[in-house]
Amino acid sequence: MIRTEELLLNVGPQHPSTHGVFRIVVKLDGEVITEATPVMGYLHRGTEKLAESLNYTQIIPYTDRMDYVSAMTNNYVLVHAVEKMMNIEVPERAEFLRLIVMELQRVASHLVWWGTYLLDIGAMSPFLYAFRDREIIIDLFNEISGARLTYNYMRVGGVKWDAPSGWIDKVRDFIPYMRKRMDEYDRLVSGNEIFLARIKGVGQYDADTAIAYGLSGANLRCTGVDWDLRKTEPYSLYDRFEFDVPLGQKGDCYDRYLIRLQEIHESLRILEQAVAQFPSGGDTMGKVPRVIRPPAGEVYARIESPRGEIGCYIISKGKAEPYRLKFRRPSFVNLQILPKLLVGETMTNLITILGGVDIVVGEVDC
Amino acid sequence: MQELIQQSFTWQNGLVFFGWGVVFLFVVLGFVTYAIYFERKVIGWMQLRHGPTRVGPLGLLQTVADILKLLLKEDTIPKKADRALFILAPVLVYVPSFAVLATIPYTQSLGFADLNVGLLYYAALSSISTIGVVLGGWASNNKYSLLGGMRSAAQMISYEIPLVMSVVGVIMLNGSLSLRTIVGGQGNNFWEWNFLPQIIGFVIFMIAAVSELNRTPFDLPEAESELVAGYHVEYSGFRFAFFMLAEYVYVFAISALTTVLFLGGWHPPLAVLDFIPGLLWFVLKFSFCVFFLFWLRATMPRIRVDQLMSFGWKVLLPLAILNIFLTAAYIEIFNK
Amino acid sequence: MKGLLKGLGVTFKAMTSKKITYAYPDVPLQMPDRFRGIQHFDPDKCIVCNACARVCPTECITLTGKPNPDPDKKGKVIDTYDINFEICILCDLCTEVCPTEAIVMTNNFELATYSRDDLYKDRDWLNGNNSLIRQDNISMLPKGGAKKDV
Repeated sequence: MIRTEELLLNVGPQHPSTHGVFRIVVKLDGEVITEATPVMGYLHRGTEKLAESLNYTQIIPYTDRMDYVSAMTNNYVLVHAVEKMMNIEVPERAEFLRLIVMELQRVASHLVWWGTYLLDIGAMSPFLYAFRDREIIIDLFNEISGARLTYNYMRVGGVKWDAPSGWIDKVRDFIPYMRKRMDEYDRLVSGNEIFLARIKGVGQYDADTAIAYGLSGANLRCTGVDWDLRKTEPYSLYDRFEFDVPLGQKGDCYDRYLIRLQEIHESLRILEQAVAQFPSGGDTMGKVPRVIRPPAGEVYARIESPRGEIGCYIISKGKAEPYRLKFRRPSFVNLQILPKLLVGETMTNLITILGGVDIVVGEVDC
Repeated sequence: MQELIQQSFTWQNGLVFFGWGVVFLFVVLGFVTYAIYFERKVIGWMQLRHGPTRVGPLGLLQTVADILKLLLKEDTIPKKADRALFILAPVLVYVPSFAVLATIPYTQSLGFADLNVGLLYYAALSSISTIGVVLGGWASNNKYSLLGGMRSAAQMISYEIPLVMSVVGVIMLNGSLSLRTIVGGQGNNFWEWNFLPQIIGFVIFMIAAVSELNRTPFDLPEAESELVAGYHVEYSGFRFAFFMLAEYVYVFAISALTTVLFLGGWHPPLAVLDFIPGLLWFVLKFSFCVFFLFWLRATMPRIRVDQLMSFGWKVLLPLAILNIFLTAAYIEIFNK
Repeated sequence: MKGLLKGLGVTFKAMTSKKITYAYPDVPLQMPDRFRGIQHFDPDKCIVCNACARVCPTECITLTGKPNPDPDKKGKVIDTYDINFEICILCDLCTEVCPTEAIVMTNNFELATYSRDDLYKDRDWLNGNNSLIRQDNISMLPKGGAKKDV
């Protein structure tokens, strides 16, 4: 009689494909996973608790460090929540600048995802191609905010800096360049039979499961649920622009892949319109009291980050510091489906599925 | 060289053999050093980078520095590892890889042994390396390396068969297993080479060969994004260097074998170019094969292990058998 | 098969295309003017208002003042001013609130040292860090925003 034993394998926190310090303990039967337990918290810094002793302006740099691949949207969700609480009017020019940097950030974030996902699947070159193009966006951010990753750009009531001269033109030039690059990406990867065989039909779930697990972003839209907060609950100026929400049907990794690439195209469309309508003058800072002290009460603001619905829940007691601040982090919530998805998959698919969820560990652990 | 081998074995002859072996070892080491440099350069260029530039002029000494570093590194053997097998595994991987080079003819006169079972000798010896990989994976007592070793065993067995089957057509056309005879059977024009009449065999051979080499897109045993480094996770220092060395010696062997079997060996592509020495033609074709491997590595994602298996058994093997039948039918009809 | 060949074409073409590597340690990187590098501190401009120390989210700035040595003038002058670059996140808030632009950002960003102790930068060091000072310091924010009531 052949006796087989289950193999308990510890994937992470030091593992090349766990995107940081994420850890999954898997039980393997041969190469098939019978049980998977994600272990989180290796990058926990207590952002929410720290925020309770900081005033609202001081919290903004901390939000940069949550989802460090998409710091601009994190900036926005906090200032958006505070503005909602205090009913602050944001000047149009500032709102345009915010929208442009957020959409650029979405492109940059998806590029990072695209590159690292292909790296997980075993192709090296796409990673460097994606970073070449992301570098252009990062340089744009560096010019407007003075930092390459942790921008600290938005403020309650506006943005810190106006766009430097010529910046908008650079964004305008970037759009056709990026479209050309997207063609190249399609030629390099999207038609590659090995790649398609790797991701088609892998990590499939249906719309009900996705909603039950609270998924959002591309992880939800791949099942065909039309839910994009830019459309369903327009914030900022998104109701002024024309764009589509790409949807999938099957809910597998391939659909998520296509949706993210399509979202880059849609972001470029929004950028094109935003740059064309960019107001020639105006303030970049609204009327804000010297000390930001939201009235006592609660607020929940949510926006569509590249990873899904990012939310900020603030309880204020009328002081300069929040009484309690809670971030709904899409990476964390999207990850919860992992134990269910992984059962019955092979080790190879573990990497494909985990990469397809698109997590940033800084945001998972917060 | 040929006469030398025919002579009876004496101490003197033994020393001469040994001397040639050492010379050839250094040639191979030189190749490996610059193949790694060339690989890093090519992949760098394809990824919009420069590749190594810092050590020596144009980075030419980069690999030398890397090897020096590997030799100076601490040699760690995990406490729970099976010590004897752990030490044996890299040797078992490397020795066959060097031994298979003995039968490859480089030009009409340059080459070592001309075995009448040359091809069989190659196939038989190269599969011994698999045992080394499995042993290394098992002896490390690491779960990742065990998985890598298992994958490697499955992969190498599945692809060894189509590899050998695919060259049966070539053997049938030439009626010999001797590599020298096979090259001799190909002509001085590129349409007289084996890759055209044996196009199916050629494609199968290329795919199976890349898989045998454990290189992208078939680098599952050492898939770094899944298994960290696969079977050599626990190896460091010169033991690790031996695994790497064996991999690149096999690159040398497979590229040379492809050149010999399908690309006409030392024959020029057109008869008018016959004045250029055969060795140069051999090196050119050989370099192209090596470049092709690097090119694949820069482009391809990794195939999945179950797909790899089904591809090997369900596609490559039937195609290889079909190729044998087609070749047999061709010989039967036209060459009677 | 077609997809594989297309991919091979892309990588082959990339071989001759322009390389994007920065020659970084050999050629210094040119950062845009707004870049947030290590601060420059000008003790003569400082009015010891403590705004920077208070607004700092990581509390990495410590400063002390002393009475003005010139008896005719009121107020304090700066005595010690230290920034701990182990925890400074270069978030730019200190320069944003400074009413006199005594503390401003520079484009220098190289902080690597062999000892953590070297990362405590004092008043003289910060004053000496006077190359590539940021020109564009006009911010839309009200100056001294965190001065009161915090």
